[in-house]
Amino acid sequence: MAAGFNWFLVLSSVFLCNLVKTLLPSISSFLSKIFQKDADQEMEMRTEIQNMKMELSTVSMMDEFARYARLERKINKMTDQLKTLVKSRTAQQAKIKWIVNIVFYILQAALMISLILKYYAEPVTVVPSKWIAPLERLVAFPSGIAGGVGITCWLVVCNKVVAIILHAVS
Amino acid sequence: MQAESSEGLLQRRAEIRRRKLLLNSEQRMKKIVGFSQNEADRPARVLEPRFHLDLECNEPWSSSCSSNRLSPLVSDPSESSGEEDVSGGVQQRLAGSPRRGLQKYVSRFDDAMKLRGQLSAEKTAQDGGGVELDSFCVFRLVCSVALAVFVRIFVCQYLSIFAPFLTLELGFMGLHKYFPKVEKKSQSTMLTAALLLSGIPAELISRSMDTYRKMSDVFSDLCVYFFSFITCHELLLLLSGSDMS
Repeated sequence: MAAGFNWFLVLSSVFLCNLVKTLLPSISSFLSKIFQKDADQEMEMRTEIQNMKMELSTVSMMDEFARYARLERKINKMTDQLKTLVKSRTAQQAKIKWIVNIVFYILQAALMISLILKYYAEPVTVVPSKWIAPLERLVAFPSGIAGGVGITCWLVVCNKVVAIILHAVS
Repeated sequence: MQAESSEGLLQRRAEIRRRKLLLNSEQRMKKIVGFSQNEADRPARVLEPRFHLDLECNEPWSSSCSSNRLSPLVSDPSESSGEEDVSGGVQQRLAGSPRRGLQKYVSRFDDAMKLRGQLSAEKTAQDGGGVELDSFCVFRLVCSVALAVFVRIFVCQYLSIFAPFLTLELGFMGLHKYFPKVEKKSQSTMLTAALLLSGIPAELISRSMDTYRKMSDVFSDLCVYFFSFITCHELLLLLSGSDMS
């Protein structure tokens, strides 16, 4: 019974890998929100800049030039600080995204290699060899069993089909 | 009397000037297009096409007129003489070829810059999602699945499963024209940019990409067909196994 479901195991693994790949951007943004410490500070700075700009609009430059200039200098200083903060946040996000991608690809490679090693000599399923003539050798690679569907052929087929399905769904 | 004489003098001067102009028009034209008097003396091999203004030819563009005209720069073999002239021609040829090479390079560079602009303006394609699902594509996939199920149930005992698939692909080639044609945006990639810079004509690149796209479609159909066949086979085995138990 377990041998009869090898093809389904490989298919599920491929489907899972492709699904996680499409969800990678969401995972990266979720993790960056968790690890982000300065989010509140950034929000406060934005609010303060907004308030100062509103106050600046009420102040007349001709009548209260000193106050106007002081306020403008404050706004500029805070805007520069906000820019630095946003820059560091963006860099952190990019770093997290890069790490998540690297981890995913390592896990995916490990999974694929383990599947190939497991089913190197054993086909995922067997059909009468005359059904898949004249490509039986190619399909059976690397198991070498006549009529068998090898792991490499099945992985390629599943990858393609899952990619088409996920593309159609998304 | 004096006025008449001065008028006559002016007219005579104008007449002289007109004759001078007519006589020197050819030389002036040569000067304008960059052909100097010295080069005209020795016959030189032309590297770039130059036009020759024939004032006597009044017909609008007749073949006889054009064929009889000879560019003054084209060397007449009967007139060529001396080793100095040959070396001068060789020098001109050598001077022309780097210029031509530079022009070629500049034009290719322009193509590459345009392509770079296109690349930056286009959206990045999804990873692994290069399949564009237009109506014909969906039709192909559905037909592949349907045929796989049909072949598994009725046909596979008698012949190979790939024979019906090949027939299906031949059918698709014929049915393609009955479906609305979708303008597939040519994917500009680094590879196409590199091929353009290597000097491969753009038409050849686009044809190769088109062929590759078609082969990719056939491969997709084959994968869907084979997957459907195996899945159908396994489901039938499962059902038959559960029936027997």
